[in-house]
Amino acid sequence: MKNWFRRRDRSQEIHEEVERHLAMRAELNCAAGMSPDEARTGARRQFGNAALIEEDVRGVRGFPWLESLAQDARYALRGFARSPVFTATAILTIALGIGASTAVFSLVDRILFRPLPYPQADRLVSIGIVAPSVDKSEFVFADAYVQMRARQTPFSQITTFGFINDCDLSEQNAVRLRCAMVESTFLPTFGIQPALGRNFTHAEDQPNASKVALLSYSFWKNRFGGDTGVVGRSISVDGQPTNIVGVLPRDFELFNLSPIDLLIPEAINEARPGNGRVFRAFGRLRPGVGVEQARAAMEPLFEEQRRTVPPQFRKELRLVIRPLRDRQIGDMRLASWTLFAAVLVVLLIASANVANLMLARSASRRREWTIRAAIGAGRWRLARQVLTESVLLASIGAVAGCGLAWLLLRFFAAAAPHGIMRLDQASLDGRVLLFAIALALASGVLFGLAPALDTPAASMAAGRTVVSSRGLLRHVLIAAQIAASLILLAGAGLLLRSLWNLEKVPLGMDTERTVAAQFVIGRGYDELAFFTRLEARLQSLPGSPVYAISDNIPPYGGFRGRPFFVLNVEGRPPFPEGTGGMVGWRYVTPGYFAAMGIPMVRGRAFTEEERNAQEMPIVLSRELAHRLFPESDALGRHILSTDKGAWHTVVGVAGDVINVGLERRPEPEYYELRKNFPDVTYANRQPGVGWRGASVIVRSPLSTESMSRNLRGILAELDPAVPVTVQTLQERASTLTVTPRFDALLLGGFAGVGLLLAAIGIYGVIAFLVGQRTREVGVRIALGATPTAVTRMFLSHAAGWTLAGIVVGLAGSLAVTQLLAGMLFQVNARDPWSLAVAPALLLAVALTAAWLPARRAARIDPVRTLREE
Amino acid sequence: MADSLQGTLDLLILKTLQLGPNHGFGITLHIQTASQGLLNVEEGSLYPALHRLERDKLVKAEWKTTGNRRRARVYTLTAAGRKRLGEAEESWTSLAKGVGRLLRYV
Repeated sequence: MKNWFRRRDRSQEIHEEVERHLAMRAELNCAAGMSPDEARTGARRQFGNAALIEEDVRGVRGFPWLESLAQDARYALRGFARSPVFTATAILTIALGIGASTAVFSLVDRILFRPLPYPQADRLVSIGIVAPSVDKSEFVFADAYVQMRARQTPFSQITTFGFINDCDLSEQNAVRLRCAMVESTFLPTFGIQPALGRNFTHAEDQPNASKVALLSYSFWKNRFGGDTGVVGRSISVDGQPTNIVGVLPRDFELFNLSPIDLLIPEAINEARPGNGRVFRAFGRLRPGVGVEQARAAMEPLFEEQRRTVPPQFRKELRLVIRPLRDRQIGDMRLASWTLFAAVLVVLLIASANVANLMLARSASRRREWTIRAAIGAGRWRLARQVLTESVLLASIGAVAGCGLAWLLLRFFAAAAPHGIMRLDQASLDGRVLLFAIALALASGVLFGLAPALDTPAASMAAGRTVVSSRGLLRHVLIAAQIAASLILLAGAGLLLRSLWNLEKVPLGMDTERTVAAQFVIGRGYDELAFFTRLEARLQSLPGSPVYAISDNIPPYGGFRGRPFFVLNVEGRPPFPEGTGGMVGWRYVTPGYFAAMGIPMVRGRAFTEEERNAQEMPIVLSRELAHRLFPESDALGRHILSTDKGAWHTVVGVAGDVINVGLERRPEPEYYELRKNFPDVTYANRQPGVGWRGASVIVRSPLSTESMSRNLRGILAELDPAVPVTVQTLQERASTLTVTPRFDALLLGGFAGVGLLLAAIGIYGVIAFLVGQRTREVGVRIALGATPTAVTRMFLSHAAGWTLAGIVVGLAGSLAVTQLLAGMLFQVNARDPWSLAVAPALLLAVALTAAWLPARRAARIDPVRTLREE
Repeated sequence: MADSLQGTLDLLILKTLQLGPNHGFGITLHIQTASQGLLNVEEGSLYPALHRLERDKLVKAEWKTTGNRRRARVYTLTAAGRKRLGEAEESWTSLAKGVGRLLRYV
């Protein structure tokens, strides 16, 4: 910028120097006896073209190209001001393309490209076994991990993460916290330094060591006001004195992006043989070791482990070692790439449109170009003028596009509040703006290239007629737009069909007029007494609703699981250990099935009387009943014996409920009854939250708003400190389709924009042709062509190029939609419907767009056009 | 060869400035008078040449008030310019000698 001002000064200086020269010459002329006027004109005449010479002098210094670039830009801007419609259309089109691309980039950049916030994050991998019926993500058992840690070679360090639990800061102003349990090597492996204090040591990470914790940055700021003296202080966590050893850095991010408040030792009991506690394991690859090598090196260790599991279970197990990013984004990768590619295609279509606009404009500027070429503008100079214009247009478009991107991001956030990873982080920062600039330059050059190569100097040199070649180029651009739009439409069609299928999947329950509240009560409670009090309040709710308490509810979220083989049946030999995968179960009150709207297929639901009796009734899901009793009736059968030999009696079979996502068949489940006293099931509480986590379900003819209010009121009365999530079942169910809906919405939107742009493109080209051939059409009409024939002439012209585009587009669609297969549900990637509807729609839109100007051609008055001759 | 011819104007300017600082118009006049009207420097070439010499630090320029209270951009020979002048004179002399011999060779 400074340079720029200096250049302005210098121009001024040169001008002054020349003026001085002229003055001196004039003075001399005066002295020789000329009149002052004559003296001045003489001086000028002798000097020659002062402006040109000044230009030359300026050219000696610095950047003549910059100077002439500024000149080109000024010229271009004047040109834009003269043709506002062209300019506005071009800028809007390009803003649309760049805006959408930038918004989507800001989203996928976080997911696909931006390095994870750990040093040398590409060396970090997730390690574990996968058993499809247990967990989608890889895990390790504690004992196997301890062995692996001692004997592994491919990693410079490995570590484990032991899940996140609710925990209570049990002091004054008690709050519920999220505590992440990790090994002492967790932070070093990820390369994270505490912002304050230190990491906990191996000695502190032992089962009986005194408790220590690291605070998250935000918890430290909010609870302790960022007090640096907090290290070394003791706080009470779940009633146990815990020493604060450090504070995590502000940008600390857990591998699964979960927010946490405290980081505490997981304290693996290494002495306990066959410790089956489950962990997530991570490793940092040694320099020079790749993921494949690491897998090969770990395979023998894994094989040893596998031999310890029962043979039936064995073939299900698989060793997984994958980059941390892969683990993090999972199936988001395909969707991200799809949206990114789609939006770039939209940008290409937009660029083709602007290229066509510019070609049309350059046709009307033909005379100007020819004159400029005739007075000596070189081919490169003219091409540069066109490129300056196109890049300038793209840049203005990019500025407008950034505004649009900002709006789109807000729209994304509203459309998919929780479904899209890192959406809350997406913003138009420097990196994204750089991308927008790169897009502007690239698209500017792209759509400027065709008109730039088409300047008259070029064509005069080539000695050919310009119109035909330009016409061909314009039509090829149109066909390309049609092809690209078709691919987008076909893709969007597939995703929409897939979404439609997903929405049609029966949930197995009735989500109308039902509200659910989820919470985890603190450790201080007598749990049974708390839930008894809660039920008493629920009974007194207005509108006598159906209510129930369960530990968790479908259609997603965890549920308790047990291995299938423990479900022994009375009178049958026990199942071989380790067979059949996992079975889910829930711990419910009698009203559960009525409140959730789950139909009883056979038998009945639990009764209130059974809650006081010693008998153990059980309800099976239809799937489980079918697996246990494929040929006979399940009712009245005895299954699942306790240690003391007591049996559960099957009293009913309930309909299957979606519990592992819409795409998969429901996993088998069973239900146990919450008793009014601590029975075997109650005593058999599992570690972690035990029975403290619960869901309350209320179904009532009252409005869901008032039910939510009542429910909140009851829980606040019982314990105002417990955080509660209240949702209608409908809201809860709809989150299942948030991501596919978002993907389909976006791709559908892009396809729509692509279609619109292609239609505008066709309209423009046919309108241009009509304008160019007015005279010819006039002659035709004078010679007897009917209006229909004229319209048909233009329409068949448009149809020809559209069909060419469709053929190419169909071939492209067949190739591209195959890649979408992973995102589709019950739709073939070569779904004939989508592949038939898209071209038909496109053809209809294209012909309509062509028909509008073609109709004008049919109305041409031959007399007037011929008179103009 | 071509370089030598193009360098001729530079040589004329540098040689003129050897007599003392001067402005563009003065340089034109001097070359015209000293060559007794045989050499006529066009302003269109003079000023670009002057600025090129300034860019290459062979001359330096500053605004000065001349004798009759007029401002002008006055050019002065620098040490580098003096050195270049010596080289240019030498190469011009040998060029002139060479061309002379060629012309005499019948």
